[in-house]
Amino acid sequence: MKKNDIILIAALLAAALAALAGIALYSAGTAKGAEAVVYINGKEQGRYPLGEGRAVKIPAGDGGYNLLEIKDGQADITKASCPDKICVDQRPVSRQGESLVCLPNKVVVEIENGGEPEIDGSTN
Amino acid sequence: MLPGIMQRKENNRRGKPVPHQRGAGWNRRFTAAAYVLAAVLAVGLLAALYLKMGNRQERYEATFFGSFDTVTVVTGYARTQEIFEEQAGKLEQKLREYHELFDIYHTYEGTSNIKAINDAAGEEPVKVSQDIINMLKMGIDMYHKTEGKVNIAYGSVLSLWHEYREEGMADPGRAKLPPDTLIQERMEHTDISKIVIDEEASTVFLEDKDMSLDVGSIGKGYAVQQLSSYAKEQGMGHLLLSVGGNVCAVGGKLDGTPWQVGIENPQLESQKPYVGTVGLSGKSIVTSGDYQRYYTVGGKRYCHIIHPDTGMPSGYFPSVSVLAEDSGMADALSTALFNMDLEEGLALVEAWPGAEALWILEDGGIRCSSGFKFHEEK
Repeated sequence: MKKNDIILIAALLAAALAALAGIALYSAGTAKGAEAVVYINGKEQGRYPLGEGRAVKIPAGDGGYNLLEIKDGQADITKASCPDKICVDQRPVSRQGESLVCLPNKVVVEIENGGEPEIDGSTN
Repeated sequence: MLPGIMQRKENNRRGKPVPHQRGAGWNRRFTAAAYVLAAVLAVGLLAALYLKMGNRQERYEATFFGSFDTVTVVTGYARTQEIFEEQAGKLEQKLREYHELFDIYHTYEGTSNIKAINDAAGEEPVKVSQDIINMLKMGIDMYHKTEGKVNIAYGSVLSLWHEYREEGMADPGRAKLPPDTLIQERMEHTDISKIVIDEEASTVFLEDKDMSLDVGSIGKGYAVQQLSSYAKEQGMGHLLLSVGGNVCAVGGKLDGTPWQVGIENPQLESQKPYVGTVGLSGKSIVTSGDYQRYYTVGGKRYCHIIHPDTGMPSGYFPSVSVLAEDSGMADALSTALFNMDLEEGLALVEAWPGAEALWILEDGGIRCSSGFKFHEEK
């Protein structure tokens, strides 16, 4: 094996390594997990990965609140100070674009980077 | 190759061949192997990277209006939004062509359509495209297979109801039903056997000058089916087409799973938007219902589907959905089923090869044919 051979082989290996790194980076970029994003009055307040169970008390104006629970990869509002409790009645969400809305508290929880929606179309 | 080239370089520099010695052959082979290995690794991984970045398809949705007086939604996959929009644009164009062909109200330059056939009723045969002939033949076939419960020659009665419905919706206080004598009179001119199709000459002639075609029960479904074939020809293999709730799946989703299609709840004020979902892959589902297109007279709803035997709106149940491969057939069958009671319809569907159906009853109850796979929303 001559010096030139070694240089060329090393260059090829370097290219291979770069490609591997590219694949790894790219995969990491696209496989970003689903998150529940909390908005109060249209402003983003926090992001919580659906992969980690937790309960977050979302402070709304005038001492009000919504309790966001993340469990089994789903986000759900389980308690709230609002009068109508429509947000509590809503089904848990986990798919891309799904949301939980509390109109009185101006709280919106939206799923980002989630899986495909549950319903692709409808017939009527 | 490479080691050989390097070797020759060495030779040239020295001006004479390398003297043969023990181990030189092994060294050459080792170098060659190292080259091959490194090259394979590099090329392979670069190719993998290229494929991963270049072939990633995203899901997109396009919505457009302007065909069949309804909303069309196309859901599919493409590498970029521009590519998807170009594909959806082609589908929109194609759908529009069918809209013009099957239109009974308007004339379009350079298009011989259903209105042209109606206008020439009792006078002369009209030369039309193969698409119109195929669709009409399918309509006539469906009439016979459903004992006349869906009739494309029912235009004279349907246009009467259309007129009264439009007026009634524009001025609900003065909404009226068409007079019974007028309905009976119009029903005299609905004989489907008076449609004369000459395939050789590619013409259609209506023998009764007072009759007219209305292909509302089949035209949209036929168009959607043609659209799905066209999409496949264009290389779109994973697509969900919805033309006003006339849903057709070209293949499944990109990951191979079926598209999930919700069956809308006729009780629109209910919390439950869908009564359930159906997995759709390479098939169509079409619903006929009384809860979307209707008008109210004296507090009572009159829907747009007219029973061919009575000339009056049907009212057996709020909706029926038909699942089948062909969207045109499903469209016509759903209309026919809407014009029969549940028992009669069930018997027809059970005997129908390749068709399944789901009925939603007045009390919210659901009935399915035996092969209808359905995920009920609780």
